[in-house]
Amino acid sequence: MMRAFLAWLDDRTGCNDLVKEALYERIPGGARWRYVWGSTLIFTFSVQVITGIFLWTAYSPSAQTAWESVYFIQEKMFLGWLVRGIHHFTAQAMTVLLAIHLIQVIIDGAYKAPREVNFWLGLILMKIILALGLTGYLLPWDQKGYYATKVTTNIMSVTPVVGPQVQQLAVGGTEYGHHTLTRFFAMHAGILPGLLIGFLVLHIYVFRRHGIHAKAPEAAPEASFWPDQVLKDGVACLGVMAVIMLLAIFKGAELNPPANPAESFEAARPEWYFLFLFRFLKIKLIGSMGTAFGALYIPGLLFGILVAMPLIAKWKSGHKFNVAYMWVIMSGIVLLTGLAFYEDGTNENHQAALAEVHRDGARVKELANGPMMIPVEGAGSLLASDPFTRGPRIFADKCAACHRWNGHNGRGRLLKLVDKSGESQITMPVATDLANASSREWLRSVIVDYSNHFGHLTQSQWYKAAAEAGEEEYIDPIDGEMATASADYKELFAKSDNQTDLDALVEYLYSLSGRPADKALVARGESILNGEPLVSGNQMSSCLDCHDTIGSDYSSPEEAPDYPDLAEYMSKKWLKAFIRDPSKFYGDKNQMPAHNHDAINDRDLDLLVRWMTGDYETEVHDYPSRLADIPKPPEVPTAADEGESTEAE
Amino acid sequence: MSENETPVTEATSSEAASTEADGQPRRNFMVEFFAAAIGLIVGVVPAITGGLFFLHPLFKGKDEAEASTRPDAPVKDEDGRLKTTVRLESLPDDGTPLQLKMVDDIVDAWNLFPNQEIGSIWIRKVGDQVIAFNTICPHLGCAVEHRASTGDFYCPCHLSSFTVDGEKQNEIPPRGMDTLDVAVKDDGSVWVKYEKFRGAISEKVSI
Repeated sequence: MMRAFLAWLDDRTGCNDLVKEALYERIPGGARWRYVWGSTLIFTFSVQVITGIFLWTAYSPSAQTAWESVYFIQEKMFLGWLVRGIHHFTAQAMTVLLAIHLIQVIIDGAYKAPREVNFWLGLILMKIILALGLTGYLLPWDQKGYYATKVTTNIMSVTPVVGPQVQQLAVGGTEYGHHTLTRFFAMHAGILPGLLIGFLVLHIYVFRRHGIHAKAPEAAPEASFWPDQVLKDGVACLGVMAVIMLLAIFKGAELNPPANPAESFEAARPEWYFLFLFRFLKIKLIGSMGTAFGALYIPGLLFGILVAMPLIAKWKSGHKFNVAYMWVIMSGIVLLTGLAFYEDGTNENHQAALAEVHRDGARVKELANGPMMIPVEGAGSLLASDPFTRGPRIFADKCAACHRWNGHNGRGRLLKLVDKSGESQITMPVATDLANASSREWLRSVIVDYSNHFGHLTQSQWYKAAAEAGEEEYIDPIDGEMATASADYKELFAKSDNQTDLDALVEYLYSLSGRPADKALVARGESILNGEPLVSGNQMSSCLDCHDTIGSDYSSPEEAPDYPDLAEYMSKKWLKAFIRDPSKFYGDKNQMPAHNHDAINDRDLDLLVRWMTGDYETEVHDYPSRLADIPKPPEVPTAADEGESTEAE
Repeated sequence: MSENETPVTEATSSEAASTEADGQPRRNFMVEFFAAAIGLIVGVVPAITGGLFFLHPLFKGKDEAEASTRPDAPVKDEDGRLKTTVRLESLPDDGTPLQLKMVDDIVDAWNLFPNQEIGSIWIRKVGDQVIAFNTICPHLGCAVEHRASTGDFYCPCHLSSFTVDGEKQNEIPPRGMDTLDVAVKDDGSVWVKYEKFRGAISEKVSI
């Protein structure tokens, strides 16, 4: 029955001949491992078609849904992470296999007559595969893909004569948006794979026409494609698949935070297999010749020589030249790629930008996983209204010229200046480090270690000028009133009996902002301020003696009080008022610039203050502390030290 | 250019292979077996992974918003009934049905659309009881209208018709109108659990 059906089918379609033609290709010299590379490329392409079509069923190309749908695939859909991981790493495997295939064709001289046309078909296929990699890189619409592709489309614009038009056609206009994605997606999932299949059919057809380019055909008896070579090809494909699966399972495809045109990405790089081109453009000599030269003409010329190889081979020693040329180019590519990796790996700013993009990426996933999910405006809006993300950036813009946050500028980077000798030096902060501002440790240190706590003020220009001129009115962490008081407190609270009382005082000040605090301690702290004696020793002046607004509701004072207003100290309200106009707190002594609505709008101020006071919930790793890298201001003897030494004498 | 290099004819090629196969039948069987098996594995793994991914809608269950704490969130009781805008005393005493829009959060894949109209119901008072029907026709999903002239329900698409109690009056719909779970709370507020049911079958099956 089955046999009759097959006979009928063969009679009507000639399928038996087709199968024979496909399977019983003769291989002079027998099956060999060196012939597997072409098959692994067909295999990886098939994997891309399969996984690509399945990803297509869940991908949504638009500026507000591309990242979101990829996030959903990656984080929420059944095995989505694996399908995307396989697609992601198979793309990279293809470029590696492509290079191996090309190298082997050149070494074996398989590009020579009569196989020139097939060599050229292969080069076209290579371009298509690279274009697939390029277009696919943008589709997740994350920071990495967005900025890498911006560079590519800008390179398009330097094409002679039609550059700007080519760029606009690729981008779908002058700006990146919905149509950039729809066009890139149509290229990636429609036009390019279609072309690839067409040229692949031609490539295989011409390959079969001339037969395999046998290496040492006399070495072994002739074999046929099935099953001898198929087995070797299969084992090779299995190996490739194993590597891809391991990468997909243990490394996984990355998803950076959503594309944000307003947020630059310093670590923008093309996918690693284009890194050599990127690094090539950064060579000074090449750069000086112009983008078109470095990005189009020189690579075009080098590729032109590759195309001309079958013709060059006709000359005496032409083949040797070709092989040497191929090794030179390959070495150049490996060298430039390695150089780019090395430079980025040792570049502090690049690493900081990478760390930040991972922080943002983890954060946006955390927010998208929240009860409100992703708003219709897209996941980017989650980050735009997030104190944990926006706070550090506003701090870096508005505050980090003087202040630091755990030693860095709020975003994990050290501030440096290049000195006269050309070495970059860490810039000395000229104001207090604000990380943990308002924490219990901060309050404790203000009370008993004021001189050190505000020590960086002594590094500022205004301080030096004021100290030199002998001015009377300035904030002085060394000799000022609070410094002297703090030296007394230090001595008083050094007594072990008074530790709990110090805790109580700190807890009371901590509670002023309205945060939950230990009630018993707060009560004790308040009574100490109101004159109750300490456990041991009681010559203490109360904070209330000067800061008489402690404990009351904060209201903007008509004029600057004599001492900083500490009503609702370190609450959001207090911080906002302080940032808007510090002179209301320090009067003539103030040196901090006021930040009116032109300097920082209400929304940003709110995000900044929410971040400063820790008003967010997250499990994402924060920027690491750089406090250890910050130079300490030179030790200056404080009033207390001087007093002590006099006593000792 | 090189006619002499064109491939040998088909017959020669397969002959060469089969001659060799005849020479070493045992080895060839093993090679064929492993070639086929490995070929199958490398083909099937990506296809199955992708296929399982494609089946996600069968595994995922119903898209539902997490209970929200935001002030404008729809109010639901523990049985999933939504608080409606009507009260027992505001429904007509003569049993005339009112149409109500039901408002709830909609979850669609990665988006949550807060407070959307998710559908409408017919609601009427019968004595001190309140009954509610989904307006979706159990026949093929059009919206059932109330016909004031005859005091019954009908569907303008295929002329299904129902009594004011929701029982079917002709043979077009497979079942009566779909009743919904209603609760009247002590304060007189009316709560309705909005559900949709499969169309075109005689049983009432919640989707």
